[in-house]
Order: sequence, then C-alpha cells, then structure tokens
Amino acid sequence: MTLNLCVLTPNRIVWDSEVKEIILSTNSGQIGILPNHAPIATAVDIGILRICLNDQWITMALMGGFARIGNNEITILVNDAEKGSDIDPQEAQQTLEIAEANLSKAEGKRQTIEANLALRRARTRVEAITMI
Amino acid sequence: MACSNLTMWVSSKPSLSDASGLSFRSFLNPFQLPSHNTPTATCNPSRSVTPIHCGLRELRERIDSVKNTQKITEAMKLVAAARVRRAQEAVVNGRPFSETLVEVLYNINEQLQTEDIDAPLTKVRTVKKVALVVVTGDRGLCGSFNNQLIKKAEARIAELKGLGVEYTIISVGKKGNTYFLRRPYIPVDKFLDGSNLPTAKEAQTIADDVFSLFVSEEVDKVELLYTKFVSLVKSDPVIHTLLPLSPKGEVCDVNGNCVDAAEDELFRLTTKEGKLTVERDTVRTPTPDFSPILQFEQDPVQILDALLPLYLNSQILRALQESLASELAARMSAMSSATDNANELKKNLSLVYNRQRQAKITGEILEIVAGANAQI
Repeated sequence: MTLNLCVLTPNRIVWDSEVKEIILSTNSGQIGILPNHAPIATAVDIGILRICLNDQWITMALMGGFARIGNNEITILVNDAEKGSDIDPQEAQQTLEIAEANLSKAEGKRQTIEANLALRRARTRVEAITMI
Repeated sequence: MACSNLTMWVSSKPSLSDASGLSFRSFLNPFQLPSHNTPTATCNPSRSVTPIHCGLRELRERIDSVKNTQKITEAMKLVAAARVRRAQEAVVNGRPFSETLVEVLYNINEQLQTEDIDAPLTKVRTVKKVALVVVTGDRGLCGSFNNQLIKKAEARIAELKGLGVEYTIISVGKKGNTYFLRRPYIPVDKFLDGSNLPTAKEAQTIADDVFSLFVSEEVDKVELLYTKFVSLVKSDPVIHTLLPLSPKGEVCDVNGNCVDAAEDELFRLTTKEGKLTVERDTVRTPTPDFSPILQFEQDPVQILDALLPLYLNSQILRALQESLASELAARMSAMSSATDNANELKKNLSLVYNRQRQAKITGEILEIVAGANAQI
C-alpha cells in the first residue's frame, strides 16, 4: 500500500505526492504514520514534520494547523509550511534572537501571547534546519 | 501689437459679418477683443466645454501633455487588467485549502453537535468594545474605491458611538493609514501595510493581532470591513463579523444574517468579443462523509481550537484578495474612462489649435496682400 501526503497552505499546495512514512508533531506529542494507519483527526502543533522519501528524511516547519488521516491519505492543513532546505539559516537565527528579546520585554497578557507565538515559530524554523 | 490685433480681428470676423458696424468699433477698442471669442464658441453648439483662450504654443503644449497623460492612463489600465488576472490566480491557488477546510470543519461540527464545546474563539460575550479591521488599498487613482470603504467605516463608527460601544481600528493599507493618521481622535490599534499580492503571512499578521485582542478580552467583537468583489464594474463595501466565530463555520453580518456559507464563489476574467468580462460560477463543495470510525487524537475541543484559527486566517486572506481584486477593477474602469476623457480633450484641443492656426495664416496672407496693394 502506498501512502499519499498532501500539505496545504492558504497560498498553495506545498506537497502532494507519495511518501513512505511521516513523523508529525501533534498537540499531544509526535506520532509516526505508516501506510494503513487507522483514520484519525488531529490538531497539528507549531512544529516539525519529517517525511521519509526514498530512504531520505526531509524536514518541514509547520506553523500549526490540522491533519486528517484516513484511507492512506494524509491531508495536513497549516497556516504556513516551509521546507527545511528553503529556510535561510542566518535569517532564521536572527528571527529567533529577536523573538527571544521581544518575549523578555513583553508586558501584559496580550503582548506575552503574541511574543510566545512568535518565539515558537522562530524556534521551529531553526530546528527544521538543524535537523538535517 | 497691431499685427496681433489684426489676426484676432480676422479670426472673429466670420461671426460678425452680419454686423459689420460692430466690427469696426471693436477694432478701435482693442480691449474688448477677448469678448469676440465667445461668439466663436456659440457658433459651435455641439461643444459644451468652455472656450479655450490661449496661444498656439500653449495649445501645442497642452495637446502634448494630454497625450502623455492619456498614454499613462492607458498603460495603468492594462497593468490593472493583467493584475486582476493574477489576483484571480491567487484565489484559485488557495481553493484546495479552503475547500478542504470547510469540509473538515463541517464534518467535525456535525460530530461535535452533541457535545458542549467551549472554544475561546467562539465565545460570545456582551459587547463593550469592538475592533474594526478596515481593509483599504495602497494606491489611489482607482475612482471612489478607497473613499467608499472609509465612508462605510465612518458610518459604522458613528453607529457604534450611538450605541455607546467603544471601538478601535486596525487599519490595513496605506490609504486608510494616512486617513486615520490625520484624524488622531479615532483610536487606532495598529497600522498595517497591504501589499501587491496578499499572502498568508499578511493574513497571519492581521489574524494574530485580532486573535490576541479577542483572547485577552480587550475587545469582544471583531468586524472586518472590506470591499466585496461583485464584478469588474461593481464592488460593495461590506462589514463581516470575524469574531466570535460561529462554530458552524459561517460568517455572519452585523444583523446576524449569514453572508458566507460553504458556498465558494469563483470569479473568472475572460475575454468575450474582445472585451473583458467576468464570469462567476458558484461552486458548492461536495461534503463527503467522514468515515465513522474516525478517531480524534486529542479532545475534540482542542481540534476545533486548531481549526478555528486556520479558518480565521483563510477568511482574512479571502477578504484581502477580494479587496485587491475590487481595487484593481476600480482602477481599470477609472483609468479607462480617464483615457476616454483624454482622447476627447485631445480632439477638442486639436480642433481649436487647427482653427487658430488657419486663422493666423489667413491673417498673414491678408497682411501681405494689403501690403502689396499699398505699394502699387
């Protein structure tokens, strides 16, 4: 059986092809998905998606969303997805530092919420590069 | 000096031929001369524009400048037409996402109907403060596009003031920004810039802002004001309630009427008999049933929590895209009428120019003849 992965963002289709296996970071931890997985629906955290293709692992930074698995079809809906190889390491590192600085400066409930989100996004992007 | 008087006198002569006594008097009094141009205009009743008084050189300059302006407006029209197409493509690219999203949301909702859900984005609170997201364009020269939306925003603000509800503005787009910056008495939470092509990132920035405002309970309702794209010649400024989201995945207007269902409209720019037209087809997304054995990895509430921000984002993105399409369409029609006007102005000006040139030549010939006669 083959497993089909489809990663959708509001802008475009990021990935639509056959894969061997994926590891997905959900809200309740990472799960690995192999062919013939039981149908599930899960929330996807801001985190890393690892895709196994021809015995090679590809990483992708996902910015939170939702995944549906069933019938050997994986549909992942996310706000934004970037392949690890497409991210500029220097830029990502800088964004992370800025985000960290912003969080320490944040005052009040609203700013903390914003800063926390930005920090998690930035951290994921850096992780996506270092994973390779 | 005398020479110029003579040419003017000659040019106005045909209209005065029936009253030759008058022409003689006017020749003696050169200060009255400009008034003779009025009869020239009245002899051409088809032209409603005020008569053009200026010399040949000025006329030539004016014709050139009108020509240049016409070229610019023509080019802007074509650019806008091409970009409407691009905006259209962006909508098409986003469709797989929004379709799947609506489908999933619909299904999950069905399954959650029985449960008591409590997601922060759907919580309806008593409205004490409202945030208005005003989406305007970045550039002018697009008719009344920006004005219409700003007027709508002003009307809404007045309405809210009347109800005794506080408000704050999130302004998207340069035109709106300059408008609100000039009016410091309107509280603005954030100024955001629009862009040439709205992307998920921009929608995300707006969504983040709106999200934190709503979750931290600073505001109790978020309304989105944007221009809905109806057709190339028609677009309506509308108000959508963005938050609290109705858990059914619908967008409701201020009065609670549903304005957006699972129906997805797609506009298409086509060429029909050499003219640009817009086709809109309504696509009803088929909602295939979820397999009943579908398990929820997390609590359904958590899944809904993950889905609703996505939905919020795609709503904002869609509004940005529609607003851009409306702006471009407005610019297209504004520029095309500007081109038409420039063409007409050019025609009128060259008519006047040719007349004056002819009059001048006639005058010169008369002078030569008169001179030759005098020498004999």
